[in-house]
Amino acid sequence: MSYRVGIDIGGTFTDFALLKGEQVILHKNLSTPADRSLGVMNGLQTLAEKEGLTLSDFLGQCDAIVHGTTVADNTLIEMNGAVTGLITTEGFRDEVEYRRGFKEDIWDVRLEPPKPITPRRRRLTVPERVLFDGSVHKALNEDAVREACRRLKKQNVESVAVSLLFSFVSPVHELRVAEILAEELPGVPVSLSHQVLPRSPEYDRTSTTVVNAYVAPRVTDYLEKLVSRLQEGGYRHQLMVMQASGGVMTKEYIEGSPIRVLASGPAGGVIGSAHVGGAKGFEHLLCVDMGGTSYDMSLVLNGAAPAVAGWNMHHRNLVGVPMVQVETLGAGGGSICHVKNGEVQVGPASAGSEPGPICYGKGGTQPTVTDALLMLGMLSVDAEFAGGSFSLSAEGVSEAFQAIANDMDAVVGVDYGPEDAAFDCWRLVNANMIQAVRRTTAGKGIDPKDMVMLAYGGNGPAFAAVHADALGIRKVLVPKASPTFSALGTLVAKPSIDEERSFTCSAQAPDLDKLKTLWQELGERAAKYFADANFSLDKVSANYQVNMRYRGQNWALTFDMHSAPGLDDLSFVDDSLGAKALAAFNERHMQEFGHVREGELPEIIGVRLKTTVDTPAPIVSQGFNATAVTATPPKTRRANLGEGFQPTPVFRGSDLVPGCVVTGPAIIAETFTTIVVYPGWTARVDDAGDYEMFRL
Amino acid sequence: MSFELNKRLAARRDPLPTAAEVDPVTASIIRGALETVCFEAATHLGRAASSPIINQSNERNASIIDANGRLALGSIGTPHLTFVTQLTVRYGLENLDDYDWGPGDVFLGNDPDYGGGHLPDYNVYAPVYDDHGELVLVQALQAHQGDTGGKDPGGFTLEATDIFTEGLAIPCVKLVHRGEKRKDIIKLIERNNRFATFSGDLAAMISGVQMSVRLLQEIIRKWGTDVVKAAVNYNIEHTEARFREEVANWPDGTHEATVFIDHDTQGTKDIKVHLSCDIKGDQLTVDLTGTDDRQELVGVWNTFGNSRGYIMTQLAAMVDPAIIKNEGLFNAVDIIIPENCIAHPPPNKPAALGSFHPACEITEAVCVALSELVPGRAAPQVYKIGMPNAVIGFDQHGMWMDQGVDARSMDVSAVQGIDGWGSCPAALGNLLLSQAEDAESRFPIINLSREMTTDAGGAGQWRGQPGSLNVKQVLEPTSAMAWMVSAAHPLRGMCGGDDGSSYTNHFEVGTPNEYQIDLAVSAQLPANAVIAYQHGGGAGFGPACLRDPEAVKEDVLDEYVSLGAARDKYGVVLTGTLEEYDLEVDFVATTKLREAMKAAITKHKSAETARGAGQ
Repeated sequence: MSYRVGIDIGGTFTDFALLKGEQVILHKNLSTPADRSLGVMNGLQTLAEKEGLTLSDFLGQCDAIVHGTTVADNTLIEMNGAVTGLITTEGFRDEVEYRRGFKEDIWDVRLEPPKPITPRRRRLTVPERVLFDGSVHKALNEDAVREACRRLKKQNVESVAVSLLFSFVSPVHELRVAEILAEELPGVPVSLSHQVLPRSPEYDRTSTTVVNAYVAPRVTDYLEKLVSRLQEGGYRHQLMVMQASGGVMTKEYIEGSPIRVLASGPAGGVIGSAHVGGAKGFEHLLCVDMGGTSYDMSLVLNGAAPAVAGWNMHHRNLVGVPMVQVETLGAGGGSICHVKNGEVQVGPASAGSEPGPICYGKGGTQPTVTDALLMLGMLSVDAEFAGGSFSLSAEGVSEAFQAIANDMDAVVGVDYGPEDAAFDCWRLVNANMIQAVRRTTAGKGIDPKDMVMLAYGGNGPAFAAVHADALGIRKVLVPKASPTFSALGTLVAKPSIDEERSFTCSAQAPDLDKLKTLWQELGERAAKYFADANFSLDKVSANYQVNMRYRGQNWALTFDMHSAPGLDDLSFVDDSLGAKALAAFNERHMQEFGHVREGELPEIIGVRLKTTVDTPAPIVSQGFNATAVTATPPKTRRANLGEGFQPTPVFRGSDLVPGCVVTGPAIIAETFTTIVVYPGWTARVDDAGDYEMFRL
Repeated sequence: MSFELNKRLAARRDPLPTAAEVDPVTASIIRGALETVCFEAATHLGRAASSPIINQSNERNASIIDANGRLALGSIGTPHLTFVTQLTVRYGLENLDDYDWGPGDVFLGNDPDYGGGHLPDYNVYAPVYDDHGELVLVQALQAHQGDTGGKDPGGFTLEATDIFTEGLAIPCVKLVHRGEKRKDIIKLIERNNRFATFSGDLAAMISGVQMSVRLLQEIIRKWGTDVVKAAVNYNIEHTEARFREEVANWPDGTHEATVFIDHDTQGTKDIKVHLSCDIKGDQLTVDLTGTDDRQELVGVWNTFGNSRGYIMTQLAAMVDPAIIKNEGLFNAVDIIIPENCIAHPPPNKPAALGSFHPACEITEAVCVALSELVPGRAAPQVYKIGMPNAVIGFDQHGMWMDQGVDARSMDVSAVQGIDGWGSCPAALGNLLLSQAEDAESRFPIINLSREMTTDAGGAGQWRGQPGSLNVKQVLEPTSAMAWMVSAAHPLRGMCGGDDGSSYTNHFEVGTPNEYQIDLAVSAQLPANAVIAYQHGGGAGFGPACLRDPEAVKEDVLDEYVSLGAARDKYGVVLTGTLEEYDLEVDFVATTKLREAMKAAITKHKSAETARGAGQ
């Protein structure tokens, strides 16, 4: 038997998805924050036992272990990365501090600055200058580089970022600086901007490179520790690591640019969604993941979750590498409900998991969204919660909402009790989340009503259908595996390399030789890493893309020019390429912006190559072949699903088999989540045991 | 086109008539929906436009106005535009029969004498009707254009004495009639603009408001016209109440401030902005009586709409930032701006440069006046930049302009408890300033330097961010224009903090022809000329000798502050060297030095008091 294991480490749980032939086995165990690799090994040990094997035999039979890690995110959250220095072009010392003028809140003059990764004393400049065409305007002053090294050494720098102007056009100076750094600061890792993010402009590239340098030692140390434990345990293949782009790649590739693992956890969930949705015949998905502290939204379009490179702000730092776009709203089960200035508000403060909502009974005193669900009867003290790890308690919940009602009495001026307050909190958090979805979709010119919603995370299925209603969506999917979706996603994600190169030329008469050379270079890089990872190159498929915009536009549109198996088919780079690119650009510009300019032609500003390797993924069943059965609820309870309190049927998820139909209003209590079937909605269980809810 | 029109446009407006009542939560939900529409409109424009001033410096703003002309919601963009936008729309609303308003229409206005700010700020707006034909809302999208078709490329003419010199003034014109673009009008407007990508920018504005109208119609259909109107009313009333609550917490009294501009564009010195903030209970009155009204001044005329908008920009920064920005702010404040002063000019005065100065001095004066009352939020939301170096050339595509929106640091003052940080004051925090690699790929220039200058931030218990020195070389002959201010009268320090550093500007640096621009210049630069623009630093807050000595040491290590300034300005004595990173505070020597400094200040104040008594 050969196995593939997907692993995702979260704050509380480490999730596992084991692919065994066509079967997927799910598992969760507690994370081990002090050394997270231990939690991974504990889970693998359990999976081995379930298979009746020793750990060594089990790992020996694993073809692939694919891993999503939060180590880079945690480094930025806790700001405990490497002591980092920056060497940059003379005159450009302060770009990362300026942030192109950006501030997160234009109305709040008391907003604190972000903690700098490279304070000014560790941002050093050297005389040198390359121009936009790659020519050297001023030679690199090597003595200045050596002096910068001396000063960085004096400050005990552990990692160095190098970002010189136009290095993405000609890296000659950056490469020489790296050589000198190796001589002067041996053993100190160096991040070169033309390797981390080979494109303009300078702030985007420099910030990304600085973050890379900051997280690199932590990510590398962690991965090396995990690889060592896995090898000791008997695993014989390369560890594959999830990237924010939605693909996975080897540890060796990741170590060249560790920033690529930042935000890779949510990306795994989106990739899992695309896989499940696609298998069930839905190509356009709105994916919503609601956990304890956040509501993550993402889009799957034409069966894929597009990774976008650009203005990705993470933990107040710009990270420009391609990322599956996941928008996060600070609204989750732990979001605190309160009254401020005569308004009921929900969040952004969260009770987290410790002490958590009042109903967790762990000392929480502030009412949360989860408490509101309990007040409204969507959750119950009678049922087990979070996989049976504990039960909820109603003690103190009603009183907390009564306090909100008291605060609102003067404003509302009518009889307003705790259930009213809980209901308004529920309405508000819904409204916040719906607006966030609208921003995510309409900002990209997408109407959500044309999509299917896929809900996961502990709280997502409790809200999904009511959000769908407001957004005009008529179908919601809730996979049985939704609580471990990110782990499933790492298993689904393909080994992939997605890189780009900047080059500006006319679209009407493009420099075909240069474009071909750039795509060839990207292809050769991908081939090297895939070959090193023992992937057969005939299983690689390539997606050749161009970035285009009207002269002066600040944002480029990216679209496919050619897709082909292998890495050597550049036959599409011929005299027709310009015309095809123009036609594709016009179509996209019309689609996104509602107009095409008369009398203006766009320009090509770069090429991109996305390469992926086909690997086995879990097979997802679809269809409704089982005979439809109207399920009978074992009980009812008083609940308000938006239309006032009424006796509401409550089903156990474990009782519902393929073919079962549940008509709303109803509540389905699953092992790790609660699914609410709102009035007007019906849920049915498909052949795979997944839920599909639809609007009547 | 008169003071009378300004009075009418600024007059308080009634709530929308509605039979519906709305609860606070529903009102909040509808407000969120409107905010999202504004966000989408602004994002659409930023992504589709080509002009760097729109898509990089983000001088654009989306707002929703109600059928009575009230600001229902001002969203993403720059506050300096948010609070001006509704007056242009009000002019259109006043004359909606004349302009034949109807569903599917899109209008444009930019006339400073008809509610506008200055000519470059094109305001494209579209009415939103419900399914029964009732006008409910207006979506407005405002953005600064690269040219306005006047005497000088870019729309800024240093010696202009009337609006006609500056370009095409449009009180209100219909661009789209019942869904069909009026090609004759659009062609006329495009013809009066030199900017190479103007037609694309205008197309992006039109498609942006059209998209918003569709979204707003969906919201009206979903909630019903009466409920949406009730929600708009509720939110405006709530904002007014919240602002008044904040004012009620300030002690009654009158607080005055006087701020000067160095000179007008022709050299007349010390242009005065004077205002008073009078607080009685929850009523705040801002009165600009005493502000300069010399009719011969050139270039320092700020439109009435702009003046009230810039007052509000600063006031909004000095209260709870969570207060929703809408008409309720204007309902809560009485604003008095005397006719004929530089903040309320007579008709046909030029307006382009007034949006810099005195607009920013009005903002600064509000901050100075209220600084003792609201020290935690006393940071002026300004750009004391004069008219920044606009480098203009022409190529095969038409006019290009590298207009000085480069990444830089300027005017970021401290507030109580927080040093100035970043590039610009918070109100400009939606900017995405221009980058060297983008600009050099498009224009024949090389950016040589843009670093902060040591000691160019105002000293204080909390320190102003140093200003940056932006140095650039032009590779081809180009024209360059600048108007320099804020040298004699830099940004004011607050509550005992030092003023920010001065702005300076040099052309043809490093050649025998090098010269400093003290006043204004419209120059032809030869190929390879170097220009160097020192931005003013942010001002300090509180006395510098109260700053934590360890913080001063950190500032020296980061070269925000020199060793000399640490001693002379802050009274901090350091041992060790910067080169070896081994600086330490000599606390004994520091205490002694600070005591001597305080004694000197006390002695100086006593002497001044005595002199005052003697007079």
